[in-house]
Amino acid sequence: MSGKHGHKPFEGHMHDYMAHIKAVEEDLEYYRAKRFEPRIIYLLRRGVVTFYDLLKVRATLKKKDHFFKVGKPQGKNIEARVRYLEEWLDEYVKGIALVSARAVEGMDMVTEDNRKERGDYDDFFKIKKKEHNGAIEERMANLEQDLTDYQALLEVFVQALIKRGWATRKDLEQRWKQLHEERPWAGGVIVAKAWSDPEFKRALLTTGREALREMGVHQGKVGKLVVVENTDRVHNVIVCTLCSCYPYDILGDTPWWYKHESYRTSIVQNPRQCIKEMFRLEIPPEKEVRVWDSTSDVRYFVLPKRPAGTENMSEEELAALVTVDSLIGAGYPLEPAQLREREAAHVEPEMPRVRPD
Amino acid sequence: METSSKYKIGDAVMVADENPTGNRRTPHYIRGKRGVIGAVHGVLENIRDHRGVHKPLYTVKFDLGELFSCHDQDSIWVDVHEEWLSEAIRDS
Repeated sequence: MSGKHGHKPFEGHMHDYMAHIKAVEEDLEYYRAKRFEPRIIYLLRRGVVTFYDLLKVRATLKKKDHFFKVGKPQGKNIEARVRYLEEWLDEYVKGIALVSARAVEGMDMVTEDNRKERGDYDDFFKIKKKEHNGAIEERMANLEQDLTDYQALLEVFVQALIKRGWATRKDLEQRWKQLHEERPWAGGVIVAKAWSDPEFKRALLTTGREALREMGVHQGKVGKLVVVENTDRVHNVIVCTLCSCYPYDILGDTPWWYKHESYRTSIVQNPRQCIKEMFRLEIPPEKEVRVWDSTSDVRYFVLPKRPAGTENMSEEELAALVTVDSLIGAGYPLEPAQLREREAAHVEPEMPRVRPD
Repeated sequence: METSSKYKIGDAVMVADENPTGNRRTPHYIRGKRGVIGAVHGVLENIRDHRGVHKPLYTVKFDLGELFSCHDQDSIWVDVHEEWLSEAIRDS
């Protein structure tokens, strides 16, 4: 199994299938109950689409007209099925990104609306998440069924948006293609540049987005960007205890555990112990740990320390060492030897799930 | 953006226990706690996140021990809007 697409479990190793299954379960319920269904409910309340639109679409939709095409697992063994579930989850999440506010004409919805709608401030609105139990076979079967159901709602929702004229199929197809474009991960590009170019690093640490603009990297649009630097004396960690604020517009989406309550609670209550238990990282006692709790207007990421033995590496080579976790403070960048090991074992680099739009 | 922020870096501040009209995004664990201004951001626009603008924003540094029973000498830095803050008397 690879640690691709932010599914990397914080417990268990690469071949711990149950840990991968649990990560998919957590993330799938998060995206359904926190990102997708609150959005539908928001639009249903306002008559942008109605229950009846959805029912009508469902009744007449033919398979050949489906917007989303779901593939098949590449084999019957556990590894193939787990990988299939992970890839399907990725597609489902991209589908939610497809129908985000920016994609739909006249949809005046901001992130704060979604937070209200999903019950961040009022338990009354919380959408219940499913509980998962049982042995691995049963859990995989459940996930396959859940994904089938959730995907079906996403499908009729997209069809209803098109039918009601809120979006055109052509625009959505264009956007869908963009969501699948492979691009070098901005996090790696930015950090490698900061390691190699002291002038850029200074600008990044003092001006945030401005520095990215000069560099021609996608600079994002969500709030103010603050980059905090790890040094011999300070180890920085990022969290959003209220929800999951993160510079997703630059770095893509977060790993699943970043949104999980256990991380959001314990990282502020006992940072060192949390980092040690969840990520197997022991911060030396002489270092100060600084936890940054974002409340949406400022988005943070960590500039990790450049690993030893990388003095002669190019920016492109350095970028491959930068992991998603290391920009949150939950890991260190790879050392060159670790990268070689991963490459030899054909472990794909860890990448965030949804690209910035 | 034009700012007229009331506090400056190093000022000791108290977070209100409650503020029904204040920005809702102030975590519960810092309410009623004392911290020090670590950064001054001023008034920020964030149109994809919310409509309008909030009061000036600060990053407030809290000693971990002020917030929780953990004895490590670490710190939690939290973004807080001005209406939640008041001046705190500094220990000598």
